[in-house]
Formats: sequence, structure tokens, C-alpha cells
Amino acid sequence: MSKNLKEKLAAYGMVLPAFLVVMLTVAYPIVSAVIQSFQDGSTGGFTLANYAYFFTDEIQRMNLLYTLYIVFVTVVVAIVVAYLLALYLRFVKSKISRTIGMLYLLPRFVPAMCAVYAMITIIRDTGMINRLGQIFGVNINLGMMYHASGIITMNLWFNIPFAAMMIAAGLGGIPDSIIEAASDVGAGKLTIFKTMILPLSLKDVVVAATFVFMSNVSSFTTPYLMGGNSPKMLGIALFDQFNRYLDYNRSAALSVIMFLLCSVSAVVYIYTNLKENDWEK
Amino acid sequence: MKVRRLTAALMAGALAAGAVGCGGSAGTEGGNGGSSDNTVTIWATGSDNVRQIYETLVEDFNTNSEYAGTYQAELQFMLSGTGAQTLPDMLASAFKANQTNTDYDLVDLSGDDLSKIVSLIGEEALVQLDDAKIPNAGRVTAQSTVAADYVQPYRGTTVILAYDSEKVANPPKTMDELTAWMEANPGRFAYNAPGTGGAGDSFARTSVYNFLPEEAITSDDPAWEEQWDEGFAYLESIHPYMYTSGGSIVYPNKNQGTLDLLNQGEIDMCPNWADMVLSQRAEGTLKDTIKIAQIDPAFTGSLQSLAIPTFGSNEDGAYAFIDYMLTDEAQEIMVRQMAAIPLVDTANIDMTGFEDVENLDVSNFRIMSIGDLSTDFNQRWDSEIATLH
Repeated sequence: MSKNLKEKLAAYGMVLPAFLVVMLTVAYPIVSAVIQSFQDGSTGGFTLANYAYFFTDEIQRMNLLYTLYIVFVTVVVAIVVAYLLALYLRFVKSKISRTIGMLYLLPRFVPAMCAVYAMITIIRDTGMINRLGQIFGVNINLGMMYHASGIITMNLWFNIPFAAMMIAAGLGGIPDSIIEAASDVGAGKLTIFKTMILPLSLKDVVVAATFVFMSNVSSFTTPYLMGGNSPKMLGIALFDQFNRYLDYNRSAALSVIMFLLCSVSAVVYIYTNLKENDWEK
Repeated sequence: MKVRRLTAALMAGALAAGAVGCGGSAGTEGGNGGSSDNTVTIWATGSDNVRQIYETLVEDFNTNSEYAGTYQAELQFMLSGTGAQTLPDMLASAFKANQTNTDYDLVDLSGDDLSKIVSLIGEEALVQLDDAKIPNAGRVTAQSTVAADYVQPYRGTTVILAYDSEKVANPPKTMDELTAWMEANPGRFAYNAPGTGGAGDSFARTSVYNFLPEEAITSDDPAWEEQWDEGFAYLESIHPYMYTSGGSIVYPNKNQGTLDLLNQGEIDMCPNWADMVLSQRAEGTLKDTIKIAQIDPAFTGSLQSLAIPTFGSNEDGAYAFIDYMLTDEAQEIMVRQMAAIPLVDTANIDMTGFEDVENLDVSNFRIMSIGDLSTDFNQRWDSEIATLH
């Protein structure tokens, strides 16, 4: 066996386990789910009814819109707050900013389940905020539990640190020298931000937004514990179809719909990445 | 060249997938003849408290019981609600595949699971129990409503009304009184969404089936669905008086969801499992002021039973474990660890702290088994009740 061939075999051998895992646990289920989503539950024949159901049934349509609403608000607020936080951490050098710089990543280390329950004990109508209010004789009922506002708050708790981390990494790559150079030739702070910092960090913002979008479209724990009965987020609607109604064909169709929703943001992500590669050439 | 390599890799992948697939299915079907002579494998499913109790019981059986040394019990536990194949499905597939000598020596079944097995593969898939081999069986009078000769009930559990005695001095005794109480105290009652926990299932289903003839409650005949209207109208009529949060009516998910609200004082009353309420109260995670009451007509209860599949491999060991489960020792473990309702005379059982359990009479239990109708029921509830505003 030639040395060349041996090397090639070794390389394929090293790739093979990962390749097989991806084929078996990602590619195969996707293909079979897509096939199942076009099948009639009892006859197995071709049908579009599974998809039609999610767009014509009023409850399901509400679920879809409700999910998009929550995800959209989450993405916008998380990105704006995270961007401001990242700017602060990047350009303000003080004890406070260094402390925040260390603390803001802490939520990433709290297990999701604990975080959700912690949030519930704070915001529920008999929670910490209500009890603090009662000391001062006010009865504060936030009404955030089983309501979109509670889910969004929780999503922000999870996603702001994550988005800030990604954007901060991008801002960290902007050299001080170009900012100093710009300010030497008389550019104001706003001009520097608009013409240099924003364009240079836009890619990271878009990438962070796509990640926040994708992880929230299919979220389960938060809406399950904090959401109401109707409308529901798609993750819960999928759970209902699969575990409670045992309708596997509709479950498959809803999975594909969620997959397509996520792939919209995946396309944005890939497009932004390709563009950078172009520019780097 | 590239294409050929890719094809080769794909084929290797497919082959490996095939191999893994075969291995997987053989492995999950309970393994053939894996047990040695004295091992008896017990299959159980349920929430985590069921796992804990079974681990204690198996340990006690292996070390302290009269059968210690003769038989070695082993537990196979499957957490419920994880979306995987359920125990009845696994038993049915093993039976239909004509497997014999499997390690399904003894299975723990709820009333629902038992009806499912009977409808899937018939009671003949279970060994007709010989009471001579279960000396303690004579101590139990409770009988299963389905396949009575094939299963041995060993504990009971029922849904009751849990209430905060500080807020409610006289709990309702009938369904009508309960309805009147809800109307007089809007926002102070909640039941969990059906399909997310047995207590909400029981409340919603009994509310509907109270309007139907008694025989409907144990029937899976779809014809009964036509008579659900009156019951759903009732659920709709009490909807405005349910728990409110964020300006709208909410049915929390899971049994624990309503129990948390009760414990936090956001509601004063909810249906829940007797064993959940009492064991959490004993552990101190629920307030002492939370008490339980039974109403008439009752919510549903069920008997938990043991059965020996005909395709197991250690019938004598299975009989020994059933007999052990009906001893005072095992019954006491179940009372004290999970607030189960004992099915034997409690004269020799230490019931301190669990006196409430004694007042729950298993002979009054309403046992419900509507099989696959429950799926339609949940769907109808989701579309008609959950969407009300």
C-alpha cells in the first residue's frame, strides 16, 4: 500500500464516525420526516392535508403567529440590548465594566430548568416582586405568568448574554488604531460609530440574530412551564401533536414547517458568511 | 472518482445503519433468555416516585423478605411521558413476534395500561393467576375491573380535591357544591390541562362523564363521543371562574402546576392525586394546611396491579414477588414513601402521618378506562376549552 493511499484511508477513517453520526441522526430522520409529512396517516398515500391543516386551522395559525411574534420581539430586544452592552464593554474601561464583563456570562452556566423556575418564583403573582411590594403595602400583580411577556422575559435572560458574547467578540476585532485615526482627523463619536463600528460589526449582529431566532423558534421548556393554553408556541404544539394526539404525520409536517422557518435564518447566516469570505480575498 | 468514493461511504453508512438497526431492535425487545434461574425481572413505568419506590422494594425483597436468597429481583424502569415506546406497546410487540422466554417476568400495570394490553393482545397473553401460589392474596379484596383473574392489584391511588383549609373551612362534598363554590370564588380554582397530568384528565373526564350513563366510563366505543356535548358545555360554563393570570384564564401544565399554585396561595382548591399531595406534605414541600377531600360523584381512582406475561421466563419468581408486595412490610413502605392506598388490612401498618389515606376507600373508586377516546377528548378540550377567553 502506498503511503499516499494509507494517508487517505486514515483521513477517511477519521471522518467516517462523524459522517455516520450525521447521516444516521440528522440526515436520515430529516428525510423520513419529510416523507412522512406528505403521507396520509391511515392510508399512507400522498397528501398535502398535513400541511394545509397548520395553515387553515385557526388555532394552529394563531400558534404560528404567536410564535413568530414572541421570536421577533425576543430577537429585536435581545440584539439591541446585547449590542449596547457589547459597545459598553468594548469601549468603556472601568472597574464596573470589567465586573459586568465577567458577570454577564454567568447565565450561560445556569441550567435552563433552574433558570426558568427561578424566574417563575420572582415574577409569578405571588412571587418575590409581589412579596416585596406587600412590605410597602402595594399589591403588585405582574400577570406575566402564562403570558407572552413572561416567555419573552425569560428568552431575553437566556439570549442577551449569548448575543452580547458574539457581538463583543466581533467588536474586539476592531483595532483601536483605526478609531484613533478617525478621531485624529476630526470624526465625531457618532460618525465613527455610523461609518466604522457599525459596518464592521454588522456581520456579527446578523449572525447573533440568526442564532437567537433559530433557538427560539423551537423552544420548549420556557413556553411549557410559563406559557398559557392557547395560543401556544410551536414547540408545544409539536409536543401536542406527537405525544398527546399521537398524530405522527402532522407532527412531521409541523417539524418540516419549523425546519423551514429556521432555514430562512440559516440562509441569512450562510449568506453573511460567504460575503465575508469574498471580501477577505 | 469523487462520486465513487462518496457512494462507497454512503454504502458503508447504510450497512452500518442496518446493522445498528437490527441490533437495536433485538436488544430492546427484552433480550432472550438473558435471565439466570433465580433472577426475576420486574418492569415498571411511571413518574420518578414510582422508580424510587420500586428500587426500595426490590432491595427489600432481595435482602429482607422471606424470598431473599431464593430469588433475585431486578428492576427495569421506564420514565413515563418521555415519548418512547410504552410498556404495553413493548409487551404487545414481544407477544405478537411470538417471543418466548423473555425477561418480561413480571410487569407493573396501571388500569389504563392493563386495558390497553387487553385490547391489543388479549388477557391470554397474561398468566391466569393461581392464588395458591400467592398466600397473601387472600388479604386483598379489591379486584381489577378488567382481566380480574389475570392480575393482582397491590396498591390504590385516586384523584381527590386538594384544598387549603385556612381559606376553605367547609370543602364541597358533591360536584354541585363544588360548582357553586367555584362560582362564588372566581379565580380560586384550577385544574391542569388534560393530557398533561392525570389529575386534570380525571377532573375534565369525570365532569363530562357525569352526564353519561355509568357504563360509558369503562368503554372505548367511539359512539359515546356524541354524548360529550353536555359535559363540554359544563366545562365551558365553569371556565370564567377558573384561575386567572395575565388577564386570561389559565389551565397550568402538569399536576404539579396546580399544586404549586395551591401551595403559593394563588388558588384555594384543585383536583390532584392523593399520593402526590400527601407525600409532598409529609416531606414538607407543601403547607400543612393543605388537606384532601373526596367528592361525590368521585373523581377517578385506579388500582395498580402486577401481571405475569406468558412469555416471561421466571413464573415462580414472579409469584414470589407478587406475594411479597402484599406483605405488611411492603405495603408499609408504599404507604410511607408514596402515600399509596394500601390494599391490605392496616392494623399492623404504621400509618402515622398518613391517616388521610385510610379514609380513602378503594371500593368506592371510580375506575375509568376510555382507551383511545382520551386522545379525541384532549383534542376537543384543546380546541373548545383552552381557546375560550
